[in-house]
Amino acid sequence: MITFIVRRLIATVFLLIVVSIAVYAIFFLIPRLAGQNTYQLATQYVGRNPTHAAVLAIEEKLGLNSPLYLQYGRFLKAIVLGTHYNSGTSITYCPPPCFGYSFKSQQPVWPQMVSDIPVTLSLGIGAAILWLVGGVAIGVLSALRRGTFFDRFSMGVALLGVSLPIFFTGLILLELFSYKWPIFPNVTFVPLTQNPLLWARNLVLPWICLAFLYAALYARLTRAGMLETMSEDYIRTARAKGLRERKVIFKHGLRAALTPIVTIFGMDLGLLLGGAIITEYTFSLHGLGLFTIEAVQNQDLPEILGVTMLAAFFIVVANLVVDILYAVVDPRVRT
Amino acid sequence: MAAPLDVPTSGDVVPESVLEGISSKAIEGRSLGQIAWIRLRRDKVAMAGGAIVIFLILVAIFGPFLVQNPDTYHANLINPTFSRPNGPFGGISLAHPFGVEPVTGRDVLSRVVNGARVSLLIAFLATALAVGIGVVMGVIAGYFGGWVDAVIARSMDVFLAFPLLVFAIALVGVIPSSAFGLNGNSLRIGLLVFVIGFFAWPYMGRIIRGQTLSLREREFVDAARSIGARGPYILFRELLPNLVAPILVYSTLLIPTNILFEAALSYLGVGIIPPTPSWGGMLSDAVSNGYYSIDPMYMIIPGLAIFITVMAFNLFGDGLRDALDPRSSR
Amino acid sequence: MRRPRTIGLAALGAAAALALAACGGGSSGSGGGGGGSNSSAPAYNAAVTKVINPSTHKGGTLTFGNTSAPDSTDPGNTYYAYMWNFVRLYTMPLMTYKSCPGKCGLQVVPDLATGPGVVSDNGLTWTYHLQPDVKFEDGTTVTSADVKYAVERTFDRGLFPLGPAYFPSLLAAQSPAYPGPFKDRSKNLMGLNAIQTPNATTIVFHLAKPFADFNYVVAIPQTAPVPPNKDTGANYQLHPISTGPYKFQSYQLNKQLTLVPNTDWKASTDPNAKQLASKVTMTMNMNANDIDNRLLAGDLDVDAAGTGVQAAARAKILSSPTLKATADDPIAGFTWFAALNTTLPPLNNLHCRMAVEYAANKTNYQTAYGGPVAGGGIASTVAPPNVVGQKSFDLYEATTKPNGNDAKAKQELQACGKPSGFSTAITYRSDRPKEVATAQALQASLGQVGIKLSLHGFPTETYDANFAGVPKYEAQHNIGISLYGWAADWPDGYGFFYYIADGKAISPAGNTNLAQLNDPVVNNLLSKMATTNDTATRNSYTSQIDMQIMKDAAILPGVYAKSLLYRSPNLTNVYVQSYYGMYNYAVLGVK
Repeated sequence: MITFIVRRLIATVFLLIVVSIAVYAIFFLIPRLAGQNTYQLATQYVGRNPTHAAVLAIEEKLGLNSPLYLQYGRFLKAIVLGTHYNSGTSITYCPPPCFGYSFKSQQPVWPQMVSDIPVTLSLGIGAAILWLVGGVAIGVLSALRRGTFFDRFSMGVALLGVSLPIFFTGLILLELFSYKWPIFPNVTFVPLTQNPLLWARNLVLPWICLAFLYAALYARLTRAGMLETMSEDYIRTARAKGLRERKVIFKHGLRAALTPIVTIFGMDLGLLLGGAIITEYTFSLHGLGLFTIEAVQNQDLPEILGVTMLAAFFIVVANLVVDILYAVVDPRVRT
Repeated sequence: MAAPLDVPTSGDVVPESVLEGISSKAIEGRSLGQIAWIRLRRDKVAMAGGAIVIFLILVAIFGPFLVQNPDTYHANLINPTFSRPNGPFGGISLAHPFGVEPVTGRDVLSRVVNGARVSLLIAFLATALAVGIGVVMGVIAGYFGGWVDAVIARSMDVFLAFPLLVFAIALVGVIPSSAFGLNGNSLRIGLLVFVIGFFAWPYMGRIIRGQTLSLREREFVDAARSIGARGPYILFRELLPNLVAPILVYSTLLIPTNILFEAALSYLGVGIIPPTPSWGGMLSDAVSNGYYSIDPMYMIIPGLAIFITVMAFNLFGDGLRDALDPRSSR
Repeated sequence: MRRPRTIGLAALGAAAALALAACGGGSSGSGGGGGGSNSSAPAYNAAVTKVINPSTHKGGTLTFGNTSAPDSTDPGNTYYAYMWNFVRLYTMPLMTYKSCPGKCGLQVVPDLATGPGVVSDNGLTWTYHLQPDVKFEDGTTVTSADVKYAVERTFDRGLFPLGPAYFPSLLAAQSPAYPGPFKDRSKNLMGLNAIQTPNATTIVFHLAKPFADFNYVVAIPQTAPVPPNKDTGANYQLHPISTGPYKFQSYQLNKQLTLVPNTDWKASTDPNAKQLASKVTMTMNMNANDIDNRLLAGDLDVDAAGTGVQAAARAKILSSPTLKATADDPIAGFTWFAALNTTLPPLNNLHCRMAVEYAANKTNYQTAYGGPVAGGGIASTVAPPNVVGQKSFDLYEATTKPNGNDAKAKQELQACGKPSGFSTAITYRSDRPKEVATAQALQASLGQVGIKLSLHGFPTETYDANFAGVPKYEAQHNIGISLYGWAADWPDGYGFFYYIADGKAISPAGNTNLAQLNDPVVNNLLSKMATTNDTATRNSYTSQIDMQIMKDAAILPGVYAKSLLYRSPNLTNVYVQSYYGMYNYAVLGVK
């Protein structure tokens, strides 16, 4: 087990580096491919008052004319060691991890993101748990009660769930449970350390909003998987052996049906982040998603690059966690 | 040398009900496709979904020529104090069968029809790109194995690490307003198609790779190889036809996802550029501007359009999967 | 459902609103009620003329919601009416506007100063005496040197590009030009010679030419004192040292600002502000309709921007008598307009601009802003009726043909050499739904004569600093039209027109003369206005300037703004401060 974890860790670090290279390359290659030269790119960085002199100065300070690998090296060094940025009036020290410096808002990027991370984490982890547990439970129950009213009703609702956009669900939830009947009034983020009850209460609607779509998906998947598994021969054997039905279902049936679910879950972490952006925007929760939107609206290139890099890192690390959990559940993977 | 290679794969069972339908002429073998079609035909729900899909495609192609200009303002149909359409149900009338938009007074029917074109165009193109790349990569990885497989599988991991929505939003912010010889909406649509296709191919790739891996070990591939068939021949004439099933199924399930994706991007403000209508844009307009409370029809109509389309594709895809999978029981 | 009945009530309500608004007329406050001691029972438009819920109750949290974020919280670097209103919570400029409802609120009265400026030397010298016992939040006493420093730092337009630049243009010049304290490299620091501080409570301004409105100029937040040793430049906005009733507790940029009572503030020194709430918060980057919903639900107290509710809330409010009684529809003192970039081809040709004036559909502009009740009357002049000296005229048939005149527009297009139209871009503030709707409406109406607009929206917080307010950006991105709004910096023609029409006001960042108009006729009229002492003559220039700008077709007027504001029942001491055209934030409390 330990060797497995160590191997996965090494692979993760490698993956992080590859992903960061890819992200960086995209942000610098695509504008170039699109026909922008470094002067125009520098104009996008310089923020206010793009005098000719200021743009040239930025071009030089950021080293936009150096080869890509040198720029990337500088970026990586900044993340690990921190660096200095000359913002014209003063030299700002950007401590590690330094994801860049936004000349438009005259602040380093990382401190702006740090306070957003707990919001997105709270939203994402809570919703993920909700959708896994909820989706799987409903899927299992539907499979077992196949053809009954419960089955049809829940699959109907599930079909609705996968067909409705997240923001629509979010809006209905807000309209009914926050504005009309103030069961969850005033949805704002309260840190867990400050007031756990309020933290959870304010997150209920966003969790449901984010989880609904994916719970529906997973319910359908689980149901199909369960149906297929339950018709396998070895289930019949288990029953023939006299095992109690509950043991048959959970120990044999569900275990097998779960494997594709967990595989897909790893792939869906990217979707989780995407859904989180929409949910944060709908409920005005100040997380990484809202930060991304603001950065794009302000056309703030360093902030966009910083948050995309952070998001990619998130996914890689989350995948690692999922893989480890998977290995705990399924020993065959640990080879 | 077609005949011996057309032998249906083992594990395929010809249901009795099919046999019943055969008349007294000589019994012919049915290809997988024909069997699937018969099973599909019997699934009323899936057929309904399919019919709706075809109808929508026709609307998207021909509709805009039959309806009025979607961008014309009709200020006279709007109550200026409340910015809402005069008349019940969002101003439904003979001239405007679906009513008009709040504030602007534009005809909703023509906007929905034009929006169908945009939404379906993006969804189809993006799916085609993702499927294209995914199938190619998946087949290559699955067939050749070894280090080729390892490299492709690892690159799938890398691509899956990219959060799709974050990237789409970020690239919209980074790309200048005219690039690659395109600008405006054609650039935006191209960008969306590229992002979705370029980052979503691993979903397809993984599935195809898995299927290829298992198909590779089947006897008919050995048989072909023993006759002297080379790699490309096997890939295109042997494996691909058997991959058609999962490709079709997952494509029809991928399209609604992309429709919802475009809707989400419009909601976040990085979707189709106004005034060009898109379903996602109309729905997000109704939702984020609160128009649903003064004119519910304005939200219900595009919402229904998206919902019906997505449902239709899902039902059709489900039915297709059931029909093509010989082991599934109804 | 209840709709038909609601429509009937709405019609009644709309008629009543129009009647009351007509009553309110050009001056911002004569409204219905005479005799203020009538009980402050909530009624529609009551807060325009009376204080609603007067109270001295202390405690509670006053919550503000903002669709974007402040352009800056630094009093020396902000130019939005709502921010000039909000900074009074933590600053005391030399003079300020008297905190009272109705016309009373247009008077400028001493704040940090003990009295209005004493004029001498033929109008070239203005002397102010400071109150001796005003303290900063850290206990140190405010001296005249702190006021001098506050004005000096605004001379650094690179560091603080956003506020107005009246001081550099009005004060006596020195050579070399004063670059601001951060760049002042001379021996012993040269400082600004035009301001002298003979002792700790006296400050003397030397003007280059006489300027009768100078008391209004020192009412701008830029005179709020700043301790030199605590000035952190671009980061001062994170924690300005307070002289007002509240001080900064925490400020997460773009997220949340929290203020708490300033224990060193004394109510006796600052009668125009109150310290009632025990906490004030402003939450940034909220969705506009979310703000309205929370206001109506009672979860939020004030919409910071103060420009009125959006369409959905407006419909709810105007169609429900109970909700209507908690709303006010004051004249906002703004004109919402579109500035036409006079330096960008083909709009640099007068006839192309005139084509835009004729082709634009003003009815759609008005509907996008909320119709006659919540948007305002269709404008045909740049200055709104509340600017002293404004006269009405209509050069482009805005009031006679409000849907536009495509035929004339096409003629003008011929005259400028673009018979089939041209393409250009339009900028607007993307977090303001009314501006988004306006941009689309202009796109549609101009498109009918072949003028194709591409839409470029930006958030309010960076609109002036990085996009529309940066002439280079506009040139590089082919931006010909910029949506904007403007209210007078002080209630006369100079205070309204200088920063949107004078050639000298064009600035490389934070530009407010978005049309980049540099017409010698306008510039001359404004200079004459600045130095004329006779009020009647001064006011006669207002309409001449207005007429010349419209002849230049530099600006496409939209509506004379009204704002439909929701007055939360949680608020105490709430009334409309005429100068800002929105509720007075410095005196609010919560129940």
